[in-house]
Amino acid sequence: MDKSAQKGRGRAFLSYGFVAPALVVLIAINIFPLLYSIYLSFTNAALIGGELQIIGDLNYRIVFLASKYATALRTSALFVFLAVSTELLLGFFLALALRERMRGKGFLLTTLLVPMMLPQAVMGLYWKLVLNGNYGVLNQFLGILGLGQPQWISDPELKFFSVLVVDVWMWTPFMMLISLAALNSIPSYLYEAAAIDRATPWIRFRRITLPMCAPLLGLAVLFRATDALKQFDLVMALTGPNDGATQTLSALLYQVVFRDGKVGLGAAYSYVVLVVVIALASVFVRYLSSLQQREQTVDA
Amino acid sequence: MTLRRVGVVLIATHLLIAGRTASADSITIWWAQWDPAAALQTLSKEFTEDTGTSVVVHQIPWPSYHDQVFLNFGNKQTDFDIVVGDSQWIGRGAQSGLYLDLTDWLPKAVDMDSVHPLARRYLCEYPYDSGRYYAAPCETDAIGFAYRRDWFEDPEEKEDFRARHNRELAPPDTWQEFREVAAFFHRPEEKQYGCSILAGRGYDGITMGFQPFLWAWGGAWGNRTTYQIKGYVNGTPAIQGLTFMKTLLPFTPPGGNSADYFYNNDVFLNGSTAMVLDYFPFYPGIVNSMGDKVGFFVVPRNGDRRAISLGGQGFSISTKIKSSQQQRAKEFIAWFHKKEIQKKWITYPGAFTANTELLSSKEFVDASPYNHAFAASLDHLRDFWNVPVYNELLAVSQRYLGEALDDVKTPKEALDIIAEEHELIMMQAGLLK
Repeated sequence: MDKSAQKGRGRAFLSYGFVAPALVVLIAINIFPLLYSIYLSFTNAALIGGELQIIGDLNYRIVFLASKYATALRTSALFVFLAVSTELLLGFFLALALRERMRGKGFLLTTLLVPMMLPQAVMGLYWKLVLNGNYGVLNQFLGILGLGQPQWISDPELKFFSVLVVDVWMWTPFMMLISLAALNSIPSYLYEAAAIDRATPWIRFRRITLPMCAPLLGLAVLFRATDALKQFDLVMALTGPNDGATQTLSALLYQVVFRDGKVGLGAAYSYVVLVVVIALASVFVRYLSSLQQREQTVDA
Repeated sequence: MTLRRVGVVLIATHLLIAGRTASADSITIWWAQWDPAAALQTLSKEFTEDTGTSVVVHQIPWPSYHDQVFLNFGNKQTDFDIVVGDSQWIGRGAQSGLYLDLTDWLPKAVDMDSVHPLARRYLCEYPYDSGRYYAAPCETDAIGFAYRRDWFEDPEEKEDFRARHNRELAPPDTWQEFREVAAFFHRPEEKQYGCSILAGRGYDGITMGFQPFLWAWGGAWGNRTTYQIKGYVNGTPAIQGLTFMKTLLPFTPPGGNSADYFYNNDVFLNGSTAMVLDYFPFYPGIVNSMGDKVGFFVVPRNGDRRAISLGGQGFSISTKIKSSQQQRAKEFIAWFHKKEIQKKWITYPGAFTANTELLSSKEFVDASPYNHAFAASLDHLRDFWNVPVYNELLAVSQRYLGEALDDVKTPKEALDIIAEEHELIMMQAGLLK
């Protein structure tokens, strides 16, 4: 064997050596649990005790047949759609308002960002006190104004709405921040050119602001949608994990795995959800890439 | 120099190990955060004085108590030696090998004939009446009503009530009387409300609140021998019971359709509600704040049937600890059940005994204003399922009973779904053939 070949092999070993620790960690904390949970989804694995037995596709059949799983999926989908779209609209319009130079802008921006920086679980408990139908601050205030006393977290018509409002309160600042970054990245000469062409504010908004912001907003929507799909803390704090009106995917998973102790069933449900999420995410990512391609074509 | 350093390290290590050995001479008990747990911590100081073994009662907030205990049981070794577990947990603890089998030991250490038969049945045995023990009584408990004695004794109110109903205003004995009294005191325009029953959607609130109606109207959760459900929980008596329960909701404070244990405590303490339902150990705080303005009565009956949700908890020893720790835990339980210790136990706020002799003693009845109602409740106690899948059954009943109270489903629809899903759970668990 010549020296250069030996050297090459040595280098290859060295490269593998450098990569190995990261690879081991990745396999240990990502790949192995992923594969192991696939195996668990075909077993009767329980949180405590019991002999592990393979039970075929029984867990998957339960997931598809029992209505509560479909209901939780529907609740989560509705929650994601309403929460993310409201946050996007509010955040974007707040950013438009804050884009202009004004006095106290820094202070206002910082204040608006506070909810986003606080832990969701803590905020959930805080809002539980605020929304309490009997002694909550909100109803006390409504009482002073002579308005009704809605039962925000116990009325079946309002529970879902209440969780939604708290989520919007927490995450609109995030959308605002991204929108502001997107707005600030638009070159001013585009607006100057539009002004020369006597474009109306609506045309400027539709033809310049919106298309230029779209890719970044799309990314923000993707981040928020992923996060909202996992919504757990607020539901847990405000209505609990077993309330039909607000039971999201994560809340149901908590109920199945940690309260009922059915790890196998929980794993099966997670995989069904994972497939749905991957399908939706890939559609969205494809849409984002098409947007970017269109932008590049326009630039060219 | 190096040798000296090594010496210092060795001595420090030795001291550390010695310290650990000393601290290992202790018992850790896990219980929910409430007055009885604080009482147990105080009482156990006497055990430490007697034996030298220290006792730590680790209190966990109620909402996460169940989850934390069973997650801890998932470890190879539990962080507790004794868990004061809910009566419903005993099947899971016994069947999954989490609770130590006390069948041979308990009758020798504790005079089981002195334990109230229903406490023995629901808190200690699995299955019922099998003579197999997995827990010793700790806190025997029941739900009961607190009422505004000052309102009930107000001469004007009494006269008004007599004029309207042609009978004396008194703590109600039947559910029909209860509804009348609740309607009488219900004056929402004055922010005064008639009653608050249990309808919480958390762990087991609404289920515990529904049970007295279910049983008093002649229904049942199912057949305790065959585990058949249909025809029991969705039978006509059960539907009538749930329908009656719903008729009380118009007399509750705002949000009363999902009132949990803490909500009822709040609406009574804020002086807005005439009668609230709760577990007796929640009442010491009410007595402390309201003094003789408050009285207590037993859950009403329907016809000749009176049934009350049991809420007690027993001491169970973890199987996932060393046998020496199990021995210490047994010593503690035996000590706790000594008559002189039980006599001291009942003097603490919210601490209840299962000892029949003490329950009927004057010192117990005089110890607090709610003890009389508590003692009168014991003979009517009944419990939810305590099979290993109790938690799945509970989740279903919590969910659909809630939907019935929220008018999302009719009582019949809700109970039909409960029956359907409970049977499925029983079948999957291999209990229903």
